[in-house]
Amino acid sequence: MFESIVGRKRKGKATVSLPFGNLPEPFRGMPVIDPDFFYGETAETCARICETQAIDPKAQTLDLGRCIFCGLCEEACGARGIRFSPDPHMPYGKREHLVIGDTTPESPIADRTLRSLLGRSLHLREVSAGGCNGCDLEAQALGNPVFDLQRFGIDFVASPRHADGLLVTGPVSRNMKEALIKTYEAVAEPRIVIATGACAISGGIFRGSYAVEDGVGSVLPVDVYIPGCPPHPLTLLSALLGFFARYPGKIPPSFPTPRT
Amino acid sequence: MRCVHLFDLDAVNPLGDAPFRTFLAGGIAAGDRLLALFAERCGPGRFLVHAALGGSFPGKYSHGCVEVSPKSFPTLTDVCPGAHWFEREIYDMFGILPQGHPELNPLRFHEGWEKRFFPMRGDGSPSPEPRRGYRFLQVRGEGIHEIAVGPVHAGIIEPGHFRFSCAGETIQNLEIQLGYQHKGTESLFTGAPGMRQLLLSESISGDTAVGHSNACARLLEQVLGTPAEHAAEKWRSVALEVERIANHCGDLGGLSTDIGYLFGASHFSRLRGTALNLLMRLTGNRFGRGLNRIGGIGPRVPGIGAEDLLTELARLGSEVEEAGSVLLEAPSVVARMEGTGRLLAATAKTLQIVGVVGRASGRDIDARRDFPSPCFEEHPPRVVVAAEGDVLARARIRYEEMRSSFRWLSKVLSSPFAGTSSPHAGPASGPGRRTLAVSVEEGWRGEIVHAAIVEGNGHIVRYKIADPSFHNWPGLSFAVQKNVVSDFPLCNKSFNLSYSGADL
Ligand code: SF4
Repeated sequence: MFESIVGRKRKGKATVSLPFGNLPEPFRGMPVIDPDFFYGETAETCARICETQAIDPKAQTLDLGRCIFCGLCEEACGARGIRFSPDPHMPYGKREHLVIGDTTPESPIADRTLRSLLGRSLHLREVSAGGCNGCDLEAQALGNPVFDLQRFGIDFVASPRHADGLLVTGPVSRNMKEALIKTYEAVAEPRIVIATGACAISGGIFRGSYAVEDGVGSVLPVDVYIPGCPPHPLTLLSALLGFFARYPGKIPPSFPTPRT
Repeated sequence: MRCVHLFDLDAVNPLGDAPFRTFLAGGIAAGDRLLALFAERCGPGRFLVHAALGGSFPGKYSHGCVEVSPKSFPTLTDVCPGAHWFEREIYDMFGILPQGHPELNPLRFHEGWEKRFFPMRGDGSPSPEPRRGYRFLQVRGEGIHEIAVGPVHAGIIEPGHFRFSCAGETIQNLEIQLGYQHKGTESLFTGAPGMRQLLLSESISGDTAVGHSNACARLLEQVLGTPAEHAAEKWRSVALEVERIANHCGDLGGLSTDIGYLFGASHFSRLRGTALNLLMRLTGNRFGRGLNRIGGIGPRVPGIGAEDLLTELARLGSEVEEAGSVLLEAPSVVARMEGTGRLLAATAKTLQIVGVVGRASGRDIDARRDFPSPCFEEHPPRVVVAAEGDVLARARIRYEEMRSSFRWLSKVLSSPFAGTSSPHAGPASGPGRRTLAVSVEEGWRGEIVHAAIVEGNGHIVRYKIADPSFHNWPGLSFAVQKNVVSDFPLCNKSFNLSYSGADL
């Protein structure tokens, strides 16, 4: 007992504060695309090597909803076309907000009603639907003393009846489809659905398998997609807070500054 | 390399039913363990069942196969109870009935699937009998009641369904129905060997990306004839141990949470994070994704030099040491864990339980010693075994294994790295003959087996993955018997099995 109190005292504060900066190298975060990338041969080469068809040289886009951040394209182009920066902040929002090219779309903010209802008190039920558990573990890590999600009034709850929304991971295996729909129906309105990770967005590396639905969007209406494979806890945190206009830099000037 | 083995299938004649049974029973009796049992479609309407055994001495592998009819084959579960789930899987994927199997419930497919859908059966076989529905074991008696939990659980974990039959508070039987995470993983592995398989292997079980991708990388390299050099192998093993430390910390934190011991919960969840961040410094991802390439390691790996890593590990090691001793010596913790969820040594042996759970129940097995990869060959690991088989033993094994890993890492990181760590540029060639490749790695949960059948043209026609969880899930049902329902979360956490790895 005594040792544990001493141990606690000695450790001090471990929690990260906002806004956070880059993670240490060689973290593969937000990709940076060279302006000339899509006009050269390299885009074709990278598109061929990409196992999730995230690169579309014709449309000149990179779909972060498909990308599993394997880094193979960076290697194929010698980091001259695509380079993964150590920035954990990623675009989030509807499907189209994750497709980057010449420009990166502006990530959306929840509408006024949703903000006023859920912006400072959000309870989520997590549903793991056919993923590898990587995204679940990162969502779980949000509760640890380092990320400390609860300080923002956001928490994961045990029952969908207590929840304002779902956070879904995985491509939605056919065996989980019914349970996912039932869990969704058990959440009272207004409710939001957040889908995290390449699998939940597009099926990820499992897209096309006979046993999956290729993403949450084919089963439920999704409000926010958060990319990554799996998304780093800071990616999740910045997207969750950003969507409710609570992340520094994502707060419109007319809003009062929230306590962090 | 004793962690991978190639069998020339062109030189192998399938055994008859009886010799195959003898092969299996004899191997187990001689101290080998069942690495994997799986079926393969080797032509229209033609099927083989393969068994890979090994481990009775370092680098020992053996293989046997039998040709079976598209309809059924005599069950092997009676001579090798560890084959139990493997046979259920063969039935689910191929529609071939293991005749006489004691409990043939679907493992992969629930209601709602087409009843004649067997994804690996292919055509050319007579239409199979429709798949049987799931039948839960009914416990009868005065006051017996059932509690159904899941698939969606209270915490942030993977889905699975547990059905308890209880007398009052006491669990009489626990039936575990999995399959919710089934995503057809194995079927995505077929085709020309390349990065696709390696990327998939990182997503077999998200918390074991290093373990699985090490096994997969070595298998592909052996098949293609492009083994990694010493330095690359060394970083692979270093990452494997960091992954072990991260997950063992996470488990000790989880166990603390389940008994309401907040000191342990907050410290170990933080320490787990520190270890994951080291994995990120090594590979660019908190779970070690991107570590492996075929023939070497990724160009961004290692992102941290041996010396810096040593310093970080020394700091982490002393914190783990301190928090672990406080946790495991606290009388309230010991009182809750001791005698809870006991898995008897005999049961563990019969069911072919592996890894941490097996070692906590007296199984002296560890793939790092029994199927050593080059770096473990050079620097042998210390295998920690306990006899008690309860939650406390499983917690202590994790703690002791972490301590051994820290010591091992400090030795290995201060010794020289030879050769290059980057993949070879040279052209790869296939084996040229029909080959079975078996690769074994000791992930943090236990031994991971990858097996691939490669045709002469170099294409993978069947890929089998045996995650340690697949062996160990049945053990959980035994461990919780006669415990109170409220101790189930604790027992479950002390096993901490992967759903995704088992459901594939
Ligand atoms: S990093 Fe993303 S875009 Fe690049 S090859 Fe991998 S999955 Fe494709």
